[in-house]
Amino acid sequence: MRRKSSLVLLALAVFLTALAPLLRWYAFPRLARIPQDEYQTAVLEADDATLLDYTTLKPRRHVKVSIVQTLKGNVEEARKVGKETGRDVVVWDCLSYVAGPEGGMVSQIPERYIFDAHTQEPVHADGEHVDGDPVRRRGVEFKFPFLTEKRDYYYFDAQTRTSAPIHYRGTVRFRGLDVYYFEQTIPWTKVALPKKMPLGATPETVRQVGLERWYSTVRMFWVDPVTGAPVNGEEKHKEEMRWVEEPGKKPLVAFDGHVRMREDSIDHTMALVKSNRILVLILISYLPWTCAGLGAALLALSLVLEARARRAEDPGPADRPTGAPEPATA
Amino acid sequence: MRALIAAAIGLAAAFALAWLMVLLAPSGGTTSPEPLVTTVPAHP
Repeated sequence: MRRKSSLVLLALAVFLTALAPLLRWYAFPRLARIPQDEYQTAVLEADDATLLDYTTLKPRRHVKVSIVQTLKGNVEEARKVGKETGRDVVVWDCLSYVAGPEGGMVSQIPERYIFDAHTQEPVHADGEHVDGDPVRRRGVEFKFPFLTEKRDYYYFDAQTRTSAPIHYRGTVRFRGLDVYYFEQTIPWTKVALPKKMPLGATPETVRQVGLERWYSTVRMFWVDPVTGAPVNGEEKHKEEMRWVEEPGKKPLVAFDGHVRMREDSIDHTMALVKSNRILVLILISYLPWTCAGLGAALLALSLVLEARARRAEDPGPADRPTGAPEPATA
Repeated sequence: MRALIAAAIGLAAAFALAWLMVLLAPSGGTTSPEPLVTTVPAHP
């Protein structure tokens, strides 16, 4: 009976011990993925920001400028691209909508971001764009990979349509979470004019006036390293309209503000990240370590039972029949 | 020999469970009917 129990315990011990690394290195990379049907909005605000008044062509300070960012998972497109590429793909249709103090549109830039649901690597397919311009991303955008590392990444900048390094600057505490702080600086760069601008202005009319758009920013992210999701973001964003024919003429400030996530967006993001990070931690830490510990305990128990069973079956010298020859010793 | 068989059963069960977990994981869903937002949502 003891031998049977020890065999059952041994099977269980092997099961749990093998399950621990399988969960971490086989199941986790396949189970951890960004859902295809994600829908999220975030509101960012710049207090005391400067905007260009297109009626007077003069910069004006405003109490508040808001930026509404929507990420919407396009499931049908993701399936289509997934079939073409043979990968588990997520397609995000995004919109950055900049609203002036009275809620009027300052600019809006749509984009389509296609990436691997597990690794966050960009996937290149038809339809990848920013404001209608085809792009080819490198690195990440909006979100970092699961199990973000303490290193620099490439981050795609939608204004310049290029990727540049975003630097890991350290680990900080943010609302009870240890998060990684990343920073990217985009130097002054000539960029495309948004296709939708206020007062019916178009890129063509702005060019006819003799202006071109330049932009620079310092982008900051506080990232939960477990899920790779930013729990906070800020940007010191500057835009200028420069005179093409008169380089010496003073440029017009089109945007100047320190953009921060609105409090309710931070709260919402924190709640989402905290619930998702538990799921990831269960797969990469809690379950594997519990399985490994239980497996080791059951293995020890099974060995003890086996040893006892053998001792009970093995008759000692006192029990041997008399007259039996003594074993030869050296 | 019996110990080896028991260990093999445990190992096979672990692989089967991990494989099933991956196989049965939900995927997909449907595209949200919510629009790309062009108004500033009120601060709650």
